[in-house]
Amino acid sequence: MGSTPAWVNRIVGVLVAGCLLVVAQCVYAQGLPAGPEYRSVLGMDSRLAVWIAAQLHLMFAAFVLAVPMFALFIEYLGWRVAKTNPREAQRYDWLAHEMARLLPAAYSLTAITGALLGFLLFTAYPKFMAYMTGIFGPTFVVYPLFFVAETLCLYLWYYTWDRLQGERKWLHLWLGLLLNVFGTIVMFIADAWATFMMTPAGVDQQGALISLYDAVWNPGWMPLNIHRLVANITFGALLCSAYAAYRFLIATREQDRALYDWMGYTGNLIALFTMLFLPFAGYYFGFELFAFSATYGVTLMGGVLSWLFIIQAIVIAVLFIGAAYYSWLGLLRIPGSEAQQRWSPVFNVALISGFVVWATPHTMAASIEESTGGFHPILGALGVMAPKMIAVTLVLVVLYASYLLYRRAGRETTVAWHRQGTTIQWSLVGLTALAITALGVYGYFAPAEVRIKTSIWQIIVLMIGIVATFALDLVLLRGARTVAEVRWGTLPRRGHYVLIMLAFVIVWLMALMGYARSGVRLNWHVYGILQDTSPGAGLPSLGEVAVIITAITFIFFVMLAAAFAISGLAKAPDAASGGDGRAPALAPSGEGA
Amino acid sequence: MKLGAFHLPLPTRAFLVLAGLFLFLKLLRPVIPGSVIVLYMGFVIAGIVIHVTLRDERMREFADFFIAESAGEPAAIRFQRWGLLAVIPLVIGWSVYDALRPTYAPPVEIFQRHPTVGEEILGSIKVPDWAAEPAKWNPEAIARGKVLYEANCAVCHGEKLDGQGPAAEGFRYPIRPANFQDAGTIAQLTLPYVYWRLTVGGIQNQFNSAMPRWTTPADDPEASTLHSYDFTADEAWKVIMYLYRATGYEPRR
Repeated sequence: MGSTPAWVNRIVGVLVAGCLLVVAQCVYAQGLPAGPEYRSVLGMDSRLAVWIAAQLHLMFAAFVLAVPMFALFIEYLGWRVAKTNPREAQRYDWLAHEMARLLPAAYSLTAITGALLGFLLFTAYPKFMAYMTGIFGPTFVVYPLFFVAETLCLYLWYYTWDRLQGERKWLHLWLGLLLNVFGTIVMFIADAWATFMMTPAGVDQQGALISLYDAVWNPGWMPLNIHRLVANITFGALLCSAYAAYRFLIATREQDRALYDWMGYTGNLIALFTMLFLPFAGYYFGFELFAFSATYGVTLMGGVLSWLFIIQAIVIAVLFIGAAYYSWLGLLRIPGSEAQQRWSPVFNVALISGFVVWATPHTMAASIEESTGGFHPILGALGVMAPKMIAVTLVLVVLYASYLLYRRAGRETTVAWHRQGTTIQWSLVGLTALAITALGVYGYFAPAEVRIKTSIWQIIVLMIGIVATFALDLVLLRGARTVAEVRWGTLPRRGHYVLIMLAFVIVWLMALMGYARSGVRLNWHVYGILQDTSPGAGLPSLGEVAVIITAITFIFFVMLAAAFAISGLAKAPDAASGGDGRAPALAPSGEGA
Repeated sequence: MKLGAFHLPLPTRAFLVLAGLFLFLKLLRPVIPGSVIVLYMGFVIAGIVIHVTLRDERMREFADFFIAESAGEPAAIRFQRWGLLAVIPLVIGWSVYDALRPTYAPPVEIFQRHPTVGEEILGSIKVPDWAAEPAKWNPEAIARGKVLYEANCAVCHGEKLDGQGPAAEGFRYPIRPANFQDAGTIAQLTLPYVYWRLTVGGIQNQFNSAMPRWTTPADDPEASTLHSYDFTADEAWKVIMYLYRATGYEPRR
C-alpha cells in the first residue's frame, strides 16, 4: 500500500478540483453576460480540441466506473466463501484488489480530462454552454457533489482494503457499493446532458425550459445509460485483461504467471459476457433515436455516417473473433480437453461465416467495371437488417456454445442421466439457433415494423435458450469430478498478445462510436433547437475521422501507461512478489473464475 | 488430410481454401466488387490464422513445412513447398502492381444510398393530412399518382417500379435508377424524406445521380430544364402514394 501522505495528497487534489468545478459551475449557473457565440482557445480548432478532450474523458470515466463494478462483485464472491474456503477467498480478494489498484491513477486522469473538457467547452462555446447551464443549472451543481462523494468512496475503498479485512470486510463492501452507486449517478447525470443534445425534451420550440425532469429523462437518456453501463464493463474488463497480459508477459515467477493468466481470463470472460448484450443495447439506443427523428435513421444507416457502420461492423467482428480465439486457446490450459478442442474448427467456421454476413455492406464501393448500378442481387440481400440480425445472434449462440464446452473440459459428470441431459441441452442450443434463423427469415419478408419486432423476439429466444441450457448445465455439473486441473500460467504467449490487441480495439471502437453519436447531430449543438454556426461545424471525412480517433487511442494508452507506471513506482519494493506483495501464496485452483 | 497415400500438408490446404474461395467470389455473377472481396478474404485469412494457431502442433506443422526439409520426403511435398514459396510473393507482387498501375477509371467511391439532409429542411416538410395516413389513402389519388408516374418516372424507374425502365440502361455508374421493389429504398424511408428526394432530386448528390428535381424552385423558374413536367406538391404526394401502394411497402414512421 502507498504511504499516507501520498494518498492524502491525491484525495485533497481531486477534492480541490471538484470544489473548483462546483464554484465555476455555480458562477456559470448565474447566467453569462452577452458575448460572442464562439471563441478560439489558443488558436486551436475548438471542435477538434473538445472532441479529443471529451473522448479521453469518456474513456477514463468509463474505466473508473466499470472496474469498481466487477471488482466489487469479485470481492463479494471472496467474502462469501471466506469461512468455508479461505484460500479461494484470498484468491478472489487478490484479484479484486489487483483490478482496483489501477483505479487511483486512472481516477486522477478522469478528473484532469474532465476539467480540461469543461474549460474548453465554457471558453470556446460560451453561448451553447450558457444555454445548457440555463437548462441544467441544478444538475451542474449536483453533479460535482456526487463526483466528490464518488472520489471519497473510491479512495477510502481502495486505501482501507487491508484495514477492513476479516470481521470488518462487510464495511469495505458497503464502501464499494456506495462508490458504484455514486459513480452510476454521476454517469447518469452526464448522460442527461449528452442525450438532451441529441433528443431534447422538456423545452418549448424556442428552447425555453418547461420541465427539467423531462429534459433529463429525454427519449435517449435511458437507452444511453444502459448502453454505456454495459459497454463500460466490456471496456474496463478488456483493459484489465490487457494489464494482466502485460504483467504475465513480464512475470518471471510461475506463481505470478498463474495469477495474471487467471486475471486475464476473468477479464475476458466478463467482457465476453457483457458483449452478448451490447449489440442489443446499441440497437435499442438506435431505435429510440430513429423514433425521435427519422433523419437520424437515414443519416446513420443510409447517409453520411452509413460507411462508418461498416467499419464498426468490422471492428466489432475483430473484437468478437479475438475474444473467442482467446477462449478457445484457453482449452490448451486443460489437459485432456481434446474432445472439446475438436469443436473449435467448427465454431471458427461458424463465427467467420457469421461475421462475413454481418459486415456485408448493402451499398457497394464499386469501380465503374464492377458496378451493377443498383443493389447487388446476392450481397444486397445479405446487407440488410434481417440477415445481419440472424448472423450476429447466431454468432452469440456459437460463443455461448463454446463456453458450455469449456465448462466441460477437464470435468466428468456424475449424475446418472448425464447422457440424456447433455442430449437435451445441445438439442435446446440447436433449437435456439433454428428459431433465431426462422424468425430472421420471416422478418426478411415482413414490413419494417414487423421486422423490428421479430428482431426483438430473436433476442428473447436467445436469452431463453441461454438461461434454460445454463440452468441445465449447472444441474448436470453438480458434483462433477475434476479429472484435470486448469494449469494456470500455461496459456501460450500469443493468447496474451491477443488480450492486448483487444484493449486497443475496444478503445478505438469506443472512439469511433463516440464520434458517430456526436456527429449524427450534424450541424446542431442541441438537435433542432440550437444550431452550430461555428466555422468547424461540418463533418470531417471518414479518413480524417480514422486518423483522429487513432490519435486519441494512442494518447489514451500513453496516458494510461504513464499513470500505471507512476503508480507502479510506489510498488517497486514489492515488485518481486507479484506487484504489491499481496499475491496469494498459491496459484488459482483448477476450477477457474 | 490424406488422399489415398497422398498427403496434403496444412499450408497447401490453407492455400487451397483461400484460392478456392477467392476464385468462387471472382467468378460469381453479377460481379462482386473488389472492395467486398478484400473484406471477405480478410475474414477468411483471419479464420485460417486462428485455425493454424489454435494448437501448437498445427503451428509447428505449418512452419516445418517451409523450414524443415527432410531428405526422404516425396517429390510432391517438395513441389508444393516451392510452389507456395513462388506463388505467395507473386500474388503479393501482382496485388501491389494492380493497385498502383495507371488507370483511367474514376476512383472508387463510397456511395451514400440516401443522401443526408438536415433536420431544418426535412422538418419543414409537412405531410398533408390526406397523404399522412396510408390506411386512409384515397384510391383516386393513387390512380392519379399512377398516371403521373407512368408518364414521367417509368421511363427510368420502370413500369414495374423495379428500376428497369427503357432509359435505365443509359445509367450505370455509380448507380442505376432506384428499384422501388427493393427493401432498401422507399421501405426504409419516411414520407418527408421521399418527398424531399423526389422534389429536390439528385441535386443534393449531383455527381452521383441523374435524378432531376421534380419541382420548380420559386426563386429560380428556369432551374428545371431536364424534363417537361414539374409536379405540384399535391402531385408529388400522389406519386409517392402510388409508389408505396404498388410495391406493398409502408412508409417508415
